[in-house]
Amino acid sequence: MRLRWFQRKHEFEQGMNEELRDHIDRQTAANIASGMAPDLARRQATLQLGAVEGVKEDCREERRGFWLETLWANLRYGARMLRRNPGFTAVAVLTLAIGIGANSAVFSAIDAILLRPLPFPNGNQLMKVMQHNRTVKRQLWFVAPVRVEDWNRMNSTFQAITGYYTEDDSETSGILPEKVTRAFVAPRFLQVWGIAPVLGRDFSPEEEHVGGPNAVIISDRFWRRRFGGDPSAVGKTLRFGEYSETIVGIMPPSFLFPERDVDLWVPAPPDAPVAQSRDNTWYTVIGRLKPGVTAAQASANLAAVQSQLGKQFPKPDADITVDVQPLKETIVGGVRRSFWILFGSVSLLLLIACTNIVALLLARASQRQHEISVRFSLGASRTAIVNQLLAEVFLLALAGAALGLIVAAAASKVFRTLAANLPRVEEIHLDARIVLYSLACSVVATILCGLFPAIRSARKSISISLAQTSGRQVSTRNPVQWLLVSVQVALAVTLLAGAGLLLRSFQALGRVSPGFDASHVLTFHISGGWGETVDMKGLTQRVDRTIEYLQNVPGVEAAATTGALPGVPSLYQTELKILEGRADPERKTIAEMWFVSPGYFATMKIPLVAGELCREKPYSANVVAEMVVNRSFANTYLPGLTAVGRHLQVPGNTFVPAGEIRGIVGDAREGGIAREPGPVAYWCMSAPLPDPYYLVRTRTEPMAMAETIRRKIHEIEPSRSVFDIAPLEEHLSDSFSEDRLRMVLLGFFAATAVSLACVGLYGTLSFSVTVRQREVGLRLALGARRGQIVTQFLFQGMGACLLGCVAGCGLAAAFSRLLSGMLYGVSPTDVVTLSSVVFIMLLVAALASLVPAIRAARVEPMQVLRNE
Amino acid sequence: MHGWGIAQRIQQVSKEVLQVQQGSLYPALYRLERKGLIQAEWGASENNRRAKYYSLTKAGREQLQKELAEWERLSSAVALILQRA
Repeated sequence: MRLRWFQRKHEFEQGMNEELRDHIDRQTAANIASGMAPDLARRQATLQLGAVEGVKEDCREERRGFWLETLWANLRYGARMLRRNPGFTAVAVLTLAIGIGANSAVFSAIDAILLRPLPFPNGNQLMKVMQHNRTVKRQLWFVAPVRVEDWNRMNSTFQAITGYYTEDDSETSGILPEKVTRAFVAPRFLQVWGIAPVLGRDFSPEEEHVGGPNAVIISDRFWRRRFGGDPSAVGKTLRFGEYSETIVGIMPPSFLFPERDVDLWVPAPPDAPVAQSRDNTWYTVIGRLKPGVTAAQASANLAAVQSQLGKQFPKPDADITVDVQPLKETIVGGVRRSFWILFGSVSLLLLIACTNIVALLLARASQRQHEISVRFSLGASRTAIVNQLLAEVFLLALAGAALGLIVAAAASKVFRTLAANLPRVEEIHLDARIVLYSLACSVVATILCGLFPAIRSARKSISISLAQTSGRQVSTRNPVQWLLVSVQVALAVTLLAGAGLLLRSFQALGRVSPGFDASHVLTFHISGGWGETVDMKGLTQRVDRTIEYLQNVPGVEAAATTGALPGVPSLYQTELKILEGRADPERKTIAEMWFVSPGYFATMKIPLVAGELCREKPYSANVVAEMVVNRSFANTYLPGLTAVGRHLQVPGNTFVPAGEIRGIVGDAREGGIAREPGPVAYWCMSAPLPDPYYLVRTRTEPMAMAETIRRKIHEIEPSRSVFDIAPLEEHLSDSFSEDRLRMVLLGFFAATAVSLACVGLYGTLSFSVTVRQREVGLRLALGARRGQIVTQFLFQGMGACLLGCVAGCGLAAAFSRLLSGMLYGVSPTDVVTLSSVVFIMLLVAALASLVPAIRAARVEPMQVLRNE
Repeated sequence: MHGWGIAQRIQQVSKEVLQVQQGSLYPALYRLERKGLIQAEWGASENNRRAKYYSLTKAGREQLQKELAEWERLSSAVALILQRA
C-alpha cells in the first residue's frame, strides 16, 4: 500500500509539472505571437504565472488525502521532538495518565452501575411493582400471592408479573446442616427475567401446583460449592429436614437475582391454602413490560386493575394503591448522588493535571520560539504551525490515555474490593466503551492543554521573538504561568477541603457514644423456617431454651435475642396507643419498636433507669406481654407521669399484643449511630422471627468462642445450622462502608491534587529561576545578599499559592454545600477544616518553593555574566 | 479545455475586465476536480506534448445552474435597490 501511495504521489507531481510547463509554453507562444523576443517571452510567461514553487505548494494542498499526510508528518515530527526531551515527556505522560486513568476508572463504575441497563434481555422493561395500603401505618410494599396472580391475569401492559421472597433454611443431606438462602418464586419467574437455566430446565406446571413434585433450581455458586461443577447434579436430591427436593436446573453464574447470595429457587404454588389470604404481605413483585409500553402507562393500567379488584374484594383491596417503578432505579437510585460527586472530583483532578501540562508546555514553548520564527520566515501559515504543535500534544495525550487505561484497570480492581456492598459492583469491567471514553478524554485534554500554548507560540511578531531568544533582554515575565499555578492551588484546596470535611465527619461519628457497649459481643443466626410460626408458643420455648443453654456455656457472660441488630441503621417507626389516659388526637405516639429477649439489656449493657426489666418466664397466651420503654419515650409522651404500669398497644396489629411497661432504660442509638435517639418501645419477645439475631457477650475475644458456640448449639439442635457468626463491631463498621469509601477516595484524589499542584509550583518556579539567572547574577554582582534572593523567590512562590488558597476557600465554601447531606457533626463551612487545609497547602508550597529558591541563590555571578 | 485556454477565455469574454491571477488558477482547478465538478483528461497538445484537458461533469453542470440562479437573484436584487434609490 505504501508503494501505491508513493506511485500516486509521483504521478501527481509529474502531472502537475507537465501541466505547468505546458501552460508556460502556451503563454510563451502567445507572447512571441504578440511580438516579443523568444527568451523575453519565456521570462514574461514565467513571471506571469507567479512564484512557481508557491503555485505548486498551493496545488499540492488541494490534492486528495493531503491533510492526512500532513497529520501523519506532524505526528512523526512531534514524536521526534518528544523523544529529544525524555524528562518533559515522562512527566507529562505520567501526569496525564493519572488524570485520564482516574477519570476512566470512575466512569467505568458509573457506566456499569448507573448508565447501563440491567444485565437482562431488554432490561429496561423490568419494573418493580409495589402496593401501598392506606390504612396500615407500616409501609410495606410486599404483595399477597393471590393479588399477584390477579394482576398478572387482568392487566394489559405487562408480558408477565411475578413475585418472590427469600428465606434461610438448612440443607441436611451433609454431615453438618448447611445454611442456604432460598428464594420462593411465583410462576413465570424465569420468564420475567428472561434468563434460562444453563443446565436442565425451568419449572414445569405440575411443580408449580400444590401436591406436585418438589423441584428446585440451584445457583451456579451453590452448584460449584456443593457438587464441584458436576453436570450430573441435575436430578440429585437435596434434603430439608423431613422433605426432599429434586434439582431440575442450574442457573448461569451471572444470575445473582433477586439477591446476591440466593442459593436455590423453589416454586411457591399460588393455590397453596396458606397463600390464599388477600392480607398477606409476602412477595416482592417484579414484572416485564410489553414492548413499547412506558412505566406511566403500566402504572395507570394496574391502578385500573386494582380499583376493579377493590370493588370485587372491598377488604382490603379497596384501600390498596399500586406503584410501578423501573427496577434499575430502585436498585441504584440511592448511590447516584455519591457517584456524581466522585465524578466531579475526578474531573477536577483531570483539570489540575491539564493545567500542569499547560504550564510545562508554556515553559517549553519559549525554548522553541527560535525554531518557530524560522518556520514563519520560510512561509508557513499560522494554522500549519498550530496544527503541528497540537499534534505533539495529542501524542502526549494518547500515550497518557494508554498508560491511563492500565491505571484504570488497577483502580477498578481496588474499587471493587472497597465497594463490595454497592449494587451492581460485579458488573464493572473495562471494555470498548471505556477505551472510547479514554480517547475522548485525551482529545479534550489535548484541546485544553495544547490550544492556548500553541496559539500563543505561533505569533508572527518575528522581531520580538528573535530578540528574546538572543538573550539581550534581562528579565522575562510570565504572568500566565503563575496564574495557572494559582488555579491549580485553588482546585487542590477545594478537593482537600472536601476530603477534610468527610474525614472530620467520619471521626465525629466514631466518637458518638452509642448508649450501649458493642465490644465483646458475638452475633449469629440459627436457622429457622417461617413454617414454625404456626406454633408461636413452641417457637418461643425453643428460643428461650437456646438462650438459657447459651448463658450456661463457660466464657459467656450474657445472651439474648433481638429482631434487628443494634447500631445498624433502620427506619422502623410505628404508631402506638397508650391505653391509659386521654388520647391526644393532635399528637400521635410514634416510636420505634424493638423485639428483644429480657436478657438484651444486660447483654448490651444498657442501664436501667426506673422500674424493673421484664421477667424471664414461660410464654403464656393469657398473660399480658411485658415491655420496657427508653428515657426518650418517657420524656416525650409521659412527661412527669410514671410510665411503669401503663399499657401500650399497636392499633390494628394482632400479632403484637398489648404490653405492660415494666421499666425505663437509658437511651441507646440502636437505630443508627448517626441519628439522635428517639422514643423506643421494647417488647420482651424472644422470638419475633423464627431466626432472630442472637447476641452473646463473651469474656474474651468474641470470635474465639465461635466454634465452641457452634458445637454447643449442635448438641441441642442437631438439625439447625449456625451461620453469619461475626462480632457486633464488624457489623457496625460495615454500616459505615459507604461513608468510608467516599472518604478514602476523596482523600486519595485530594492528595494527588495537592502533589500535582506542588509539582506545578516547583516546575514554574524552577523555570523562572533558570530564565532569570542573568538577572540574579547581576544583582549578586551589584551587592545583593544571597538570603535576599532566596526570600524573594520564596515569596514569589508563596504569593501565587496564597492567591490560590483564597480562591480555593471561596470555591470550597460554594461547593461543599453539595456534601451537606453526608456530613455529621460538622458544617459545610467549618472554619477549623478550612484553616487547616490552607495551612497544609502553604506548608507544602513553602517546601516546594524552597528548593528552587535555594538553587537560585547558588548562582555564581561571574559565570553567569560571562555566558552572555 | 486546458488551463491556459480557460484563463485566456475568461479574459477575452469579459473584454479584459477580469484579469485572472494565473498562479491561483491551477489550485482552483484542482479543488474543483477534487470536488467532482470537473473532470480531467490527458491528451496530446498541438506540438505533440501531453496536456490536461478539463470538462464539466454532470454534477458540475448542476452546480453551475445553481450558481447561475443565485447570481441572477443577487444581481436583480441589487439592481432593484439601486433603481429605487
